[in-house]
Amino acid sequence: MDDSTKRLLQRLMRRIPSQMLQTILDKWAHLSREDLHSLDFTQPKWVLTEHLLALCEENGLRVKHITELEMIYIIENPNQGMWHGFQLLDAEEDAPSIELTQFKEQFKANLTELISHVSIKIKKHTDEAIWIRVAWGDNFTKPYHLKPTYVVHHLQTPYVFVTGVTSKHKPLLNQALVLATRYSSMKDAHLSGRNLTAIRDLLMRQYQQVFPTKHPKPLQEKNPVPRNPNIEKEQAENTENRLQMACEAFGDGTLPQLQKAVYKLETKFRDNSNKTLTGREEPFRGVVEFASTNLLESLRHCVSSGMASTPVTPLLSSITQKGRNYFVITDKGV
Amino acid sequence: MEERNSTEETPRNNALAQRRSKSYRQSMRSCVEATHLAYTSGLLTALRIPRSRKAPKSCDITKQVDPDQVALLVKKEWQLSYVTPLYQFRHTQLKSYSKQLSAFIVSEKQQGLAIEVGQELGFKVNFSVVLGLAETDKDAETVFIQILSKQAFSAKDDAQKVVWSGWLTCVNGDLDYLRSLPLEFVSLPLFCTRGPESLTVLVKSWFEKTFDCCFGPLGINSTNLQWLASLWTGCHPTINIQYLKLVWTLPTLPPMDVTYTVHPQDAWELWDSMRQVDTTEDSISIDEVTGFIKGLQSHFFRHFRIDLSAGSLMQISTALGSSHHSGKIKIASPNYIPTILQLLTECALLKMPI
Repeated sequence: MDDSTKRLLQRLMRRIPSQMLQTILDKWAHLSREDLHSLDFTQPKWVLTEHLLALCEENGLRVKHITELEMIYIIENPNQGMWHGFQLLDAEEDAPSIELTQFKEQFKANLTELISHVSIKIKKHTDEAIWIRVAWGDNFTKPYHLKPTYVVHHLQTPYVFVTGVTSKHKPLLNQALVLATRYSSMKDAHLSGRNLTAIRDLLMRQYQQVFPTKHPKPLQEKNPVPRNPNIEKEQAENTENRLQMACEAFGDGTLPQLQKAVYKLETKFRDNSNKTLTGREEPFRGVVEFASTNLLESLRHCVSSGMASTPVTPLLSSITQKGRNYFVITDKGV
Repeated sequence: MEERNSTEETPRNNALAQRRSKSYRQSMRSCVEATHLAYTSGLLTALRIPRSRKAPKSCDITKQVDPDQVALLVKKEWQLSYVTPLYQFRHTQLKSYSKQLSAFIVSEKQQGLAIEVGQELGFKVNFSVVLGLAETDKDAETVFIQILSKQAFSAKDDAQKVVWSGWLTCVNGDLDYLRSLPLEFVSLPLFCTRGPESLTVLVKSWFEKTFDCCFGPLGINSTNLQWLASLWTGCHPTINIQYLKLVWTLPTLPPMDVTYTVHPQDAWELWDSMRQVDTTEDSISIDEVTGFIKGLQSHFFRHFRIDLSAGSLMQISTALGSSHHSGKIKIASPNYIPTILQLLTECALLKMPI
């Protein structure tokens, strides 16, 4: 094993938390039963790493095996790094009938044509998602495995999720994906976040949505605030309405974990009490960023508690309705 | 949650504006009486919360203060505290204070450790005066303190590095209050620190023992953050502020931060539209400040229908400096130091527990 492969394994071992180590090495299945048993998982991690390195050397394992281990770890723990959502546009006729082997061949062929030194690994996960790991080199150097790009795509859907791609490689990746999936182009869905499950759920609408009904049954508030029966009686109808609108806009139950929403404002100044600025032609420029550990829950609470006035503005409900968290707002709309 | 001071709650602002000269005369008289009796009366120390301030003028601070010393103060983030007047603090004794504080730190750090003969623990303290920041003749001169130490594992001959710095200052402090203090007391109410908390605690405890004073945390409430935002925005024609960033925290579950970064020219135009025609160029009133922030909140509301006053303003920043509710300040541009320090001195004086 050369130095760079050793370094890759050492880095990987530092990343993987101790409690997951055994299960991931089991899944990897490149070490024999006896070898795995010989590893003492109660030892400090650096001792374990040395032992593992020795075992890999003995078994003649190479870079491609180590990258497989990394991929297993990332697939099990996808909610790290920054994921960006993309949408494929204008499907060709045969797009819906693409199946896995065809996609794999096409993608590999396309990408290696565009850039000769590149290392590609494709794996299908149990939940029908295709995971692709790409390590980039260029015409003169071998692929660099310490900064790989990961791509997740569900066949038959027009959505692609990417993490760890530089602006240099993005166009190449896009082209290879577009050709392999038989669409005509790919655009930025303006949705990004640390939690892959969250942005996938948002883009593919896989969260508990609430639709307006003619016969509203009051939704149960999941985090009840301390109760004052007099206030409650007075406010009962208003509270129900607010909660209903909050859930319609953002969903019910557990919401996808989004961290930020960014709005670039390029609208004219909107405050009629200010005589000087009201007639101003130029936009009042600014950027608004909402941040929270779980933004959608914060916004839902904001509406249901009354901090935000109802009806919920389309600017906020667009996060869930359109599945994006970066917007440029002009006077013509979102 | 804004800190409430008893002087703020009484709705006396309107009456004050009219009675200003009368109460000054009253307080002058009680000032004379108080020194006879050698205590400060409650009447005097009911400091007024200003409803207007002088507009900051860009001044070349290096004309008043040594540029090297200015460099010590700017472009660093300081944590603020207030301190009550120091009993028998002498600006002439700084060398002695340096030795005393250094010995104190060494002895405190050594407590509980076995002493090795010949081991050099190497804490050196430097007290110095920063001349030129005091604005009136009642302001005491600013005192700057540095603690130097050898890093662990450094060679014998390596120079000591600054591991902690702090300064005590009073800029344009309320004259009534300062005149009311008995002569043995020196008021340097604003304490700015930077460095490990363990050293800050030691320095404070030495001051408390030596000068019979009390320290407390100084936060910057929402009104003062709004003042700072407006004062800095007003400087835009002279020096490009590059952006005006305000951060509110809303009490949702989980809490949500809203950051609104405004383009500097647009922010300035909004500020300018708030400046009432009949006030003089020189002074800024609280109404203009609240109007400015309300304008921004209102523009925000028209888009998001979220009322930002449901939350609290936590942080403001521009290229000229930044300030946080928990009592952190960073002054990036030396030209406006006196204005900012005056505002902070006021905040510190309001915390005086009399």
